[in-house]
Amino acid sequence: MLRNLLALRQISQRTISTASRRQVKNRVPEMQKIFQEDNGIPVHLKGGVIDGLLYRTTMALTVFGTCYAVYELIVAAMPKKVK
Amino acid sequence: MAHQTHAYHMVDPSPWPLTGATAALLLTSGLAMWFHYNSTTLMTLGLLTTLMTMMQWWRDIVRESTFQGHHTMPVQKGLRYGMILFITSEVFFFIGFFWAFYHSSLAPTPELGGSWPPTGIHPLNPFEVPLLNTAVLLASGVTITWAHHSLMAANRNQSIQALTITVTLGLYFTALQAMEYYEAPFTIADGVYGSTFFVATGFHGLHVIIGSTFLIVCLLRLIKFHFTTAHHFGFEAAAWYWHFVDVVWLFLYISIYWWG
Repeated sequence: MLRNLLALRQISQRTISTASRRQVKNRVPEMQKIFQEDNGIPVHLKGGVIDGLLYRTTMALTVFGTCYAVYELIVAAMPKKVK
Repeated sequence: MAHQTHAYHMVDPSPWPLTGATAALLLTSGLAMWFHYNSTTLMTLGLLTTLMTMMQWWRDIVRESTFQGHHTMPVQKGLRYGMILFITSEVFFFIGFFWAFYHSSLAPTPELGGSWPPTGIHPLNPFEVPLLNTAVLLASGVTITWAHHSLMAANRNQSIQALTITVTLGLYFTALQAMEYYEAPFTIADGVYGSTFFVATGFHGLHVIIGSTFLIVCLLRLIKFHFTTAHHFGFEAAAWYWHFVDVVWLFLYISIYWWG
């Protein structure tokens, strides 16, 4: 297990130094342009279509979860009929 | 187009506080469902929504700061206060568990055999893996400081290397501690010794994982040119948190592993 850990350490270091040599492009100015566009879109949706999908998924899960929690609460509050 | 005439950040309306609060509801009711009705659906939903809320909320903060420029000096000052206060609250959280440990260990009851460690408990040797863990975390404190100074000196390659080594050391600590947990001759159910040991070291381990995650996010942001030599508060906050985690370990090591 220790050998695997050491190998992982080497790989991660090698990968990072390769990336530096490969010159990761500085995309910050592009992003600044996108997010500073005066289109009235709130920041949580301003990145594009994926933002909307992620938001809707999160909201759907929380709404469903809340309904399910309330349902389980009601079920737990009803005494089970003993035959 | 109207412009603000103050330096503060009036945030856009956001759904994440609501989804976060709901996620907390699902987590807690999910815990109750798991404990009492053997069902993990709600808890899984809670964990998933918590994770999604955290990722999107913090993503938005990166957008507001790095891409929109909202983090002026007064805003940054507020964030610094916030992080300091949060870490302080975490210090008090750990003080509670140290209080529990010292309460039981300074005056061991007859039920424990009147001794600490209690009769029948074989504690871990503090000079084996725990000492290595201490060295690992102390070294990571050095490497993160190295990363910070390299960042401030605009030395990109060194800052990336140093932060990578810091992350690696953090993951190494977690792996070593996981192995120790597996190999330990006592469990959490072994009286008050087991309880104090695993709850205190367990919460510390969770904080190492949280800190490592924060550092990994900083590493990605560092590679993507998000930080400048003078403005990199996200990195500083991660570094403060990491030093806090290191200090807690030192207290744990001295009190529970060595003296205990």
